[in-house]
Amino acid sequence: MIINVDSPVLEIHDLTVSYDQSPVLWNVDLSLPAGKLIGILGPNGAGKSTLIKAIMGLIPITGGYVKLFDRELNDVRSRISYVPQRESVDWNFPASVLDVVMMGTYGKLGLFRRPGKKEKKIAMDCLEKVGMQAFVDRQISELSGGQQQRVFIARALAQEADLYLMDEPFAGVDMATETAIFQLLQEMTAAGKTVIVVHHDIHSAMNYFDWIIMLNLHLVASGPKAQVVTEELLRKTYGGKLNLLTKVTDIIRQKDFNPLKS
Amino acid sequence: MSFDQNAFLIIITASIISISCGLLGVFMMLRKMSMTGDAISHAVLPGIVIGFFVSGSQRGLEVIIGAGILGILATLIIDWLKNKAKVQLDASIGITFTLLFAIGIILINMLAYKVDLDQECVLYGEIAYLPIDLWITKAGFSMGPRITYLAVLNLVLVSGFIFLLYKELTLTSFDENFGLVIGLPAGAINLALMSMVSYTTVSSFEAVGAILVVALLVVPPATAFLWTKKLTSLIKLTCALGIFIAIAGYYMAYLVDSSIAGMMVAVAGVIFLGSAFVKSIKPNWIFGTSSSIKPLEN
Repeated sequence: MIINVDSPVLEIHDLTVSYDQSPVLWNVDLSLPAGKLIGILGPNGAGKSTLIKAIMGLIPITGGYVKLFDRELNDVRSRISYVPQRESVDWNFPASVLDVVMMGTYGKLGLFRRPGKKEKKIAMDCLEKVGMQAFVDRQISELSGGQQQRVFIARALAQEADLYLMDEPFAGVDMATETAIFQLLQEMTAAGKTVIVVHHDIHSAMNYFDWIIMLNLHLVASGPKAQVVTEELLRKTYGGKLNLLTKVTDIIRQKDFNPLKS
Repeated sequence: MSFDQNAFLIIITASIISISCGLLGVFMMLRKMSMTGDAISHAVLPGIVIGFFVSGSQRGLEVIIGAGILGILATLIIDWLKNKAKVQLDASIGITFTLLFAIGIILINMLAYKVDLDQECVLYGEIAYLPIDLWITKAGFSMGPRITYLAVLNLVLVSGFIFLLYKELTLTSFDENFGLVIGLPAGAINLALMSMVSYTTVSSFEAVGAILVVALLVVPPATAFLWTKKLTSLIKLTCALGIFIAIAGYYMAYLVDSSIAGMMVAVAGVIFLGSAFVKSIKPNWIFGTSSSIKPLEN
């Protein structure tokens, strides 16, 4: 079930992405509304991160197109913010928490110009939002996984964008932090921002997201939570026998869950 | 040891070269591209020979342009092999620079009767000849040692480059994808850095040689990184180490009557090994930064 919207924030038409000739995303076709907290769900290897990277122009697209705010990516970069997976960088890099969060302001600063008081203020505000203000001067190599994740989210906030794409921001984050970050994201969507989150925990997804995208190489569903979260669609996404109401937690425990085999 | 003008000039020049190399080396190290620096310093050889052949002198601008082009070419070949041909990074570096270096050696031999250039000069350099290699103006007036001028010009350009692009270089070194996402020309910045490395290699090869330049690119930043986890301190410490190895290298070479550049690199290597040893036996050493503090939670 794919529900389309008028004047979408993000429109993807017939998107196909392949690595070394083998497609990892087939014919994804969807449109997303503004001001919603949107979750991308799917099993491991379903192409969730690939979809985000293709939207951000980080990997080449084999077919189809992506439109953001009805424009090309290059025209609207300053309105889009990105949280990469935490493991994508070397945290041993010589930088402080403040240095990394300030990087979020570099896009608007432009080439050659140096960040000043204004940028520092933005960075401090963003650190406060994620509850990391006490760690401003700490070197990033001294942070725990959850703290690193919050620094990345603060950096994305510092971009002051309208659309946020987050790749597994809750990986390795404890429950208290997850709840706090979800509340922050809900405040942002209430203020009209659109937040798209790659997520793998179905249970918390049901609690927080307004709109859900289900992906498993193909697009299985995209629409408001109430309409797309059905046993049939979840089974199509994750495969196997899935009794949504009673066995949600079982799915999470099932480590080697392969929908292609069942 | 009384004041010796020649010694002073040699130490100053060697310090300047060490600082230029160290500044670039910090960013090469943070990008995990120290070995690419090594590759570039060898791969520029055919560029030097062709430039030399075209201009007929090793002072020509053609030499620097030729080397710069070869340096960028080497970077592009390495990237292409790694990304498109799916060759491992270390293998693509090894293949690229040995091939280009071999072409350089062949060219030197083929053109040997036409140009006054030999492998020894390019590979090892000799900073001790610096005081007699003067820049003579057309009016016959001596301006002082030519290589010192080259080194100063190089340092001005390198520090200007890093000053201007400090924030971009830092961001793309830490998280290149994020740089691309916010619209920074990450590819162009990377190539600009590689060009600066090529140019620095050529500018320094007469003094310290193409091989020892690699040590100046790699060793001082790597040593400094053992002691600090702050970028500004890392850069300062790298520069300080560069000056120290120039002074220590000169006087130790003087004592044992040997190669100055060789001794500089040997001193740098010993400092690095010593630092690594101290760090490994005493993680909470008093000079260490807060890097030894453990994360609050896991």
